[in-house]
Amino acid sequence: MAFAVGTAVAFFIVYGFVAKGVRGHIDAWLAGEAEVLARVSADTPRDSVYDRIVEEVAELATQEMPKELNSRGQQLNSVFFLQVNPNNSDPLWVGGGSKERFIEAIRNANLVPGVPQSIHIAGEKAPYRVVLRDQSLGSRVYLGISDRGARHTLHQLTRRFFAVWAGVAVFGFLISYVSARRTLLRIERITETASHIGSEDMSERLPEPANSDEISRLARTFNHMLDRIQSSVNQLRAVTDAVAHDLKSPVTSIRGTLETALLQNDEDKLRDSIGQAIEGLDGVSQVLNTTLDLAEAEAGALKLDRQPIDLSDAVMQLIDLYQPAMAERHHVLTADIAEHVMVDADATLINRTISNLLENELVHLRTPSKIRISLYSQDGSAELVVQDNGPGFPPDIGARAFERFVKGKHSPGHGLGLAFVDAVVQSHGGRIRISDRPEGGAVISVSLPLSLAQPAYAAEMQS
Amino acid sequence: MRLLLVEDDLAIQDFLKRALIEAGYQVDVASNAKTGEAIALEGIHDAFIVDLGLPDLDGLDLIARCRAQGSSAPVLILSARRSVDERVRGLEQGGDDYLTKPFALAELLARLRNLLRRSLPAPRESSKIQTADLELDLIRHEARRADHLLQLTPHEFSLLEYLCRNAGRVVTRTMILDHVWRMRIDPATNVVDVHIYRLRSKVDRQTLRPLIHTIRGVGYVLRNA
Repeated sequence: MAFAVGTAVAFFIVYGFVAKGVRGHIDAWLAGEAEVLARVSADTPRDSVYDRIVEEVAELATQEMPKELNSRGQQLNSVFFLQVNPNNSDPLWVGGGSKERFIEAIRNANLVPGVPQSIHIAGEKAPYRVVLRDQSLGSRVYLGISDRGARHTLHQLTRRFFAVWAGVAVFGFLISYVSARRTLLRIERITETASHIGSEDMSERLPEPANSDEISRLARTFNHMLDRIQSSVNQLRAVTDAVAHDLKSPVTSIRGTLETALLQNDEDKLRDSIGQAIEGLDGVSQVLNTTLDLAEAEAGALKLDRQPIDLSDAVMQLIDLYQPAMAERHHVLTADIAEHVMVDADATLINRTISNLLENELVHLRTPSKIRISLYSQDGSAELVVQDNGPGFPPDIGARAFERFVKGKHSPGHGLGLAFVDAVVQSHGGRIRISDRPEGGAVISVSLPLSLAQPAYAAEMQS
Repeated sequence: MRLLLVEDDLAIQDFLKRALIEAGYQVDVASNAKTGEAIALEGIHDAFIVDLGLPDLDGLDLIARCRAQGSSAPVLILSARRSVDERVRGLEQGGDDYLTKPFALAELLARLRNLLRRSLPAPRESSKIQTADLELDLIRHEARRADHLLQLTPHEFSLLEYLCRNAGRVVTRTMILDHVWRMRIDPATNVVDVHIYRLRSKVDRQTLRPLIHTIRGVGYVLRNA
């Protein structure tokens, strides 16, 4: 549409220039020829052959213009020559048509010498472009040419242009229509595919043509998105399966315990059974809570109440808490804790994180082992490293250890602990890495950004 | 002491009411916020226990409305939500308390006691605690059983102190972690139990009558059984 309008505007501009040019050319010819004829008329002695000489020259002049004929056979470039003498004797007339009308029209028009003007002649459709030349002897020479010629040319131009323009417009319209339709069809295909990718069949994908235009990119991006969704759906299925499993077992045993309690007569045994059932429920509660916390953490919805925390202090407290449990299992726990390592963190979440790491050790080390906990600051980060000389991470785990419910086939627990730690550490802007020690055993390293209060604190301690 | 319990779950309402009456309180109940507000504004209660998941209004809004109309009794909030948002934190700072479901009755009773104690004039802090033949000197951090000095680590002393202050009442592992280690964590392993066993081995030597008892499914209690 814009293209058509633009072309039309361009045409009008061009038309204007051409028209001006054509008319200018005619006017120039008029002026020039009038000059020539005037001189001839002035130079030729006024004798009997005067008329004939002037007539012949005028004839020659009129024939200079191409003898174009229009469709009806009329001559287009009609030229006339008129010389009016001061004594009003018979004017000299060369040209087609009746000279009376011409003379009448010329008399009514007040021509300015030397300036070509348009005059309407009665009986002629098109005006005549006429120029007047005054002569020294008082006679006036008029030279005129019908505008028909110019008009014809311009009309031809307009018609031809219009034809081309129409052709181009239609062609352009067709192209954009076809192109748009093709694009819309491709988008339609994408929409259709999207609408019937349901949760039952996530395996369908859009065709990806090899080119790199926007639609292809859209198709590729869409396919990637489908891959991610499928992965999430699979993960969700795995999670619900695992949660179901992890809840069903304790619920089953709780139910069994309480049913057994119904059969008890001995009050002590009864209390024991009921107590056992309550403990089982606490375990179920914990799986639920950790799953919810994990979901919250992964959704980025963990609410952090950040304060400057003395991480050294927190670690020491937890080591103190876990020490007896470790000793009970005959583990040897050593600690290498730098003083006053400060981080900006949520106290509860950090405590739970460190607790999870220690729990992890307790749960996974089946035989008496050595466990070493280090805390130090390096390059603006607080580094907490927990390592042991136990069996290390099961080979089938690797980097997936932080996914939910990923755990070795033979390890106990619900597998949410490390996933939770990962989520908490990441929401604090930190990082966690796991690896195996070359000499055997697992290493878990947690990095957290140091608190901005650290330097001030250190300075305070020095003074 | 008279309590108002605003809780829409009838089963919870039932067992809480019974437990509170058993613990010596008078209890009024409301099953929705509208009734709760009406009763609360009578101004005859010493404390409120409010569940956040009420059918007609969020519990926090109910508390705000009551406060706006002049009620100043302390509130114990019960909620299934895990995370503590700013509004609850604000209330906590204002002298109220917050308990997540599911909770141990022992914990609810302990927090309730705390709430009510704050509104009473502070009792004179004594420097000694005595239960049967167990004596704790809080200034010198020394514990003696039958005049025999016990060799306790600082944490063991704090743990014993907490048990003695709650003598006769059951304390849960969560409560112990909260008060003695000042942490709100939920370990899956028996870390607290091991501490209790160690303490017990020092306090309840075989020749003496045991003071520290395990209540299966709930926690521990220090009493002269």
